[in-house]
Amino acid sequence: MDFDNSKPIYLQIVDFFYENILIRRWQDNERIPSVREIAVMVEVNPNTAIRAFTHLQEQEVIYNKRGIGYFVSENGYGKVLNIKKKEFMGEVLPDVFKKMRLLDISFEEVRHAFDQQKNETDHEKK
Amino acid sequence: MIAINHLRFHYPKDKMVLNNISLELESGNIYGLFGKNGEGKSTLIKIMAGLLYPKTGSCLVMGERSERRTVKGLQEIFIVPEEFELPGIRIASYARINAPFYPNFSKDRFNALLEEFKLGPHERIGRLSFGQKKKVLIAFGIAANTKVLLMDEPTNGLDIPSKSQFRKIMASAVDQGKCIVISTHQVRDLHSLINHVVILDNAGLVFDRSLYEVSEGLWFGKAQADDTEHLIFSEASFGGKSVLPRAHRDETEVDLELLFNAVLTTPEQINQALNIATHGTTV
Amino acid sequence: MAPQFNPKRIGHFIYRDLVLLKGTLITSLSVAGGALFLFSLFAMIRDKNLTDGEFTGIFGLFYILTGLVFTFAIFREAQHKKMDHLYFALPVSPLERLIGAWFATTVLYTLLFSIVAPLIGQFAILVGSVVFGANFHLLSLFQEAYWQVVKVYFFIHPVFLLGAIAFGKNRVGKTLLFLVLLVLGVLFYNMLLYGILNHGHGVFDDDALASYAFDSAKSDFVGAGIVLFAGILGPVLLLTAYVKMVEKEV
Repeated sequence: MDFDNSKPIYLQIVDFFYENILIRRWQDNERIPSVREIAVMVEVNPNTAIRAFTHLQEQEVIYNKRGIGYFVSENGYGKVLNIKKKEFMGEVLPDVFKKMRLLDISFEEVRHAFDQQKNETDHEKK
Repeated sequence: MIAINHLRFHYPKDKMVLNNISLELESGNIYGLFGKNGEGKSTLIKIMAGLLYPKTGSCLVMGERSERRTVKGLQEIFIVPEEFELPGIRIASYARINAPFYPNFSKDRFNALLEEFKLGPHERIGRLSFGQKKKVLIAFGIAANTKVLLMDEPTNGLDIPSKSQFRKIMASAVDQGKCIVISTHQVRDLHSLINHVVILDNAGLVFDRSLYEVSEGLWFGKAQADDTEHLIFSEASFGGKSVLPRAHRDETEVDLELLFNAVLTTPEQINQALNIATHGTTV
Repeated sequence: MAPQFNPKRIGHFIYRDLVLLKGTLITSLSVAGGALFLFSLFAMIRDKNLTDGEFTGIFGLFYILTGLVFTFAIFREAQHKKMDHLYFALPVSPLERLIGAWFATTVLYTLLFSIVAPLIGQFAILVGSVVFGANFHLLSLFQEAYWQVVKVYFFIHPVFLLGAIAFGKNRVGKTLLFLVLLVLGVLFYNMLLYGILNHGHGVFDDDALASYAFDSAKSDFVGAGIVLFAGILGPVLLLTAYVKMVEKEV
């Protein structure tokens, strides 16, 4: 795993979990790799991996079955979706709006670009 | 696990290499021991392993003075020196003749590690490259299951894929009962592995903090124009990054190289900023 | 708990040394064996016979020389700049290291050499009898002279051991020099003792004082020297070797 230099590694591991859950690689109620396996996979100190697991548990995205391991929560997918939506609305969009004002891009232009890309990807799918 | 108290060391008729070092190393951590070349990293590691004797002060490993080299103490400590030579025998023979001295040695673990390093037990050590010999010794050291594992510049002589293998293996090697000390001047190789930084400079200990503490107290990144008054340290190059007190900023990943350079340049300011973050602004 | 002295660990340590020195041991034994063979043949050329006495003489020479090589080889790891770290970090106490090295280079080595050497001698006799009709007979090494040679080796061995640990560069040369000085010292000591004890008998009046005294001292060396060496110097040397081992830093 390549790390982005600015974000704490444990949060990058959390993102890695979110992604796996969003693309449905890890289904709800499915068992996920252990702390040690994750630490080895991403080549980090297990303490860092533990911090990621703790964070995910606090967000109720995963839960621990004592002696068995960690699992994606009952509604893990929905929770991740919520978290990432909030992140998009709260962090990504304000940046986009700021840039739009700076470059004087109208909302219509953005809608047009959005539709165009949607058409292209739909086309590719067909 | 390792307690160093007012330790001083110099080589015969030479200037002080370690001057009044006091340091506590606990189990469950991977310590990064940093310093410029020749600042006493190897010397400190050799003292911990009982290979050099303190001139004054003491180094206790699990309660035993390291220079006494007791069997009990040595059974719980393994050192991977920066430079070493292994006998030219087969890898399996090497393990067979040395394993009986380590009560917790695991042959299965050793073989699994060899496999991860893509080495066969029947290969002759005499025909291996230095990097491969290093892998043999690292594999043996981890399989020996000692409480303390000391590694002096372990990634020297390893190619890029091997460095990644090394990190994976170290990530799997640490557990709560173990204390791992890795000395290096190649800070980048290990930044994701270590969780505690110790920096030696001018024969002294200038920095000794957990990475958690550092990430709570300091912010690493490209500073905005209005940050300049808070700057603790900043790289000279264009687009260079800076170290700031974190205050209410989002947590950033600790940039070890930046931290290292900052500590060498302004150790007092860095430590002061961290003290304020830990003990509150009243200090 | 791990005590500082454990016979089983000494066993492991000796085994470790033997595996590591397998190459050196085979090479030096082959060289010594080859030389033993040639010397035995030469001894047969003139009188077409190799007596037990002759063979023991040749045996003694190579037994002690090879022993010297072996003793120095066993501490090569401790003296090697890139191997000493791993040697001293190995969980074996100094006493165990010393006992292991001593046992391997005296008892085990003597056993090995005493088995190999007569075989080579016998082979030399066989070759001699076939090639130039030398007298074929069965060698019997284990006579009184053999035990004398073994005793001498065991007596001077602590000097080898100490030299192998204590000296860094030119270990063998320094050790041999030390040995020569030691023997001279003991001789001188004996001479002095002899002179003092026999002062009343007018030994110091004689012109031939030195040679006379030396002769007497030499014969006394067997008695007084052995007591002095085995009883005092040997243990002192071994103790010094132990202290050197404890003090040695890398």
